Amino acid sequence: MSGKLPERSPLLRRHAAVVTAVVYSAVVFLVLGACWLFASNVDQLFPGEQFIQSAAMDEWRPTDEHLHVFAGGFWRVGAFWRSVNLTVVTATITMLIAAAVGIPAAYALSRYKVPGRSIIDVLFSSVIVLPTASVGLCLVILMQHTPVLKELHLVYSLPGIVAVQLVVATAMGISAWKAAFDGVNERFEHVARSLGSGPWRAFRTVTLPCAKPGLIAGLILAWTRAAAEFGGVLIFCSTFAERPEASFSPMTRLLHLHQADPLAVSMWSQIEYGNVEYGTAIGFMLVFISAASVYAIHRLGGKTYVW
Amino acid sequence: MIELSDINIDLGEFHLRDIDLTINDGEYMVMLGPTGAGKTVIVECLVGIYRPATGSMRVDGVEITSLYPEERNIGYVPQDYALFPNMTVRQNVAYGLVARKLPRHEIDPKVQATMESLGVDHLHYRLPLNLSGGERQRVALGRALITQPRVLLLDEPLSALDENLRADLAAELLRIQRRVSGTFLHVCHSFEEAADVADRIAIMNDGRLVQVGSIAEVLAQPASLFVARFTRTRNFIEGTAQPSADGCRVTGPNGLELHSTHRAQGPVTAAVRPEEIEILNGVAASGPGVLRAKVAAVRAKPTYTEVSFEGSVPLVVHERTGRAGFHANCGDELCLRIPPDALKIFPAEESEPDGR
Repeated sequence: MSGKLPERSPLLRRHAAVVTAVVYSAVVFLVLGACWLFASNVDQLFPGEQFIQSAAMDEWRPTDEHLHVFAGGFWRVGAFWRSVNLTVVTATITMLIAAAVGIPAAYALSRYKVPGRSIIDVLFSSVIVLPTASVGLCLVILMQHTPVLKELHLVYSLPGIVAVQLVVATAMGISAWKAAFDGVNERFEHVARSLGSGPWRAFRTVTLPCAKPGLIAGLILAWTRAAAEFGGVLIFCSTFAERPEASFSPMTRLLHLHQADPLAVSMWSQIEYGNVEYGTAIGFMLVFISAASVYAIHRLGGKTYVW
Repeated sequence: MIELSDINIDLGEFHLRDIDLTINDGEYMVMLGPTGAGKTVIVECLVGIYRPATGSMRVDGVEITSLYPEERNIGYVPQDYALFPNMTVRQNVAYGLVARKLPRHEIDPKVQATMESLGVDHLHYRLPLNLSGGERQRVALGRALITQPRVLLLDEPLSALDENLRADLAAELLRIQRRVSGTFLHVCHSFEEAADVADRIAIMNDGRLVQVGSIAEVLAQPASLFVARFTRTRNFIEGTAQPSADGCRVTGPNGLELHSTHRAQGPVTAAVRPEEIEILNGVAASGPGVLRAKVAAVRAKPTYTEVSFEGSVPLVVHERTGRAGFHANCGDELCLRIPPDALKIFPAEESEPDGR
């Protein structure tokens, strides 16, 4: 049957309405924020006399100390393991939040005719294909200059890492989770409900098990995407390795998350500092992590590939 | 008893209009019509996937229009059977009872009995993926029937099967329906399939119910040219009707004169089924209803021979194969007789060449 779908039964309609409302309020919020930002800073589009350039850029040079600490035996350095720790912890938190937000959203996008679906698709897809540095920049503007959001003090903070990872990992995850739900016959739920199951039981006993391989693949993708995030984190959070230990909270120090960058950022910064061997070693670590996650997707995901 | 009254659904380009249909207890009702007629929409409406814009649905007098699907107790077998691929055959069949939270010692014997009665009790621990088309259908039926639904909805249950299996499984469906004394609503688009199983048929076209009745009633009194075409009437003659003592006289092209027992006046389309035209071999007859025509083609079918005539109007005649004294070869000129009671008369304005 072609054409627009008719009204669904009341419960389904209520679900769709909630999802639509949430998605739209997010979009409206972002659009309004962007408009406000543009309007309030319009004078900056016309700079006065000259651009400002920091003199400090020329002052920094790698010291011998940096080189000697890292060149050999990087695994004996606490900063390295704090980096690994930070990457695993942030990527895992990101994956959990992304799943909590993204799996229901992917289900809604797959099952309901959400009005303006193409807008949502453009938003998510463009996050996947954008250079993540520009995603980070957008977040800086949003979080630094928007009322309410700037009170969160996310920019240049450790939770900021999760915020950036969340944007890219959710976009990645949703495309995989939506594909997983798309692959499950919608009639399974209709039949399950005609047999006496409520909507949640029908979802839990039929759709969820059928979509499981694809959902797990999406989780791994989201985790890997979060762990590999570089440009956005660098722009949004800068680096932490050089900050004084006292600037980190006791909890952070207890969890060994202080004075460390995610592995991808760490790799770049060490090479920048001249610690090429250390940077290369971390690069190999990242390649290994990516390869392991792809292997895991193939093993756990079974025949359900997401690409 | 299932009563649909005044159901309207708006699907954008497609509208379901004023559906009034009653399905009696223990009746095998077949709803049929061309693709896009709205048959599946009615089924999904009864299941509870769509809500009608207006109208009401009642089961045994109880209003179900605003109930959730799980509260309706309506069995549903979709076109692809939708067997749950993550469960074994046994778990599929037991699903409805588990959903109703029956204790295990009540579920097991019921599942066993249902699977035995459908001849699938050797498949307990197989996965749906590994079943044949016929086995899938029976498992889907078992899953739907085990909860003893008020009505079983079958959405094109035979269309996924190959031709040879189809007639067998149609007979099987009817046998099951008779055994459980269930009320069945079966959707299909083939008149032959409907004729195999139906107590009554409901013909739909373009979102409307155009005729409801038994096969014999619909064949004898098609409600419109569309129904006549849909039920395989092949011969249509444009003409003008004039009332006569026992019906009407139809004047067709090239001076053709036919008699009908139906009363009509003015421009009409006369329709006659191919098996109702008599071929008068070796008889030189004349008079109203008799015409001479030249055989253009002869095709032997399994149970009848299809003879195409050219003449004042092109006609197709089905003659029982092996009838004594019947012979026709290309180029023969034969006498044909159209009995007055076989000639159905429809107003001519309906005669636009609508898709069947």
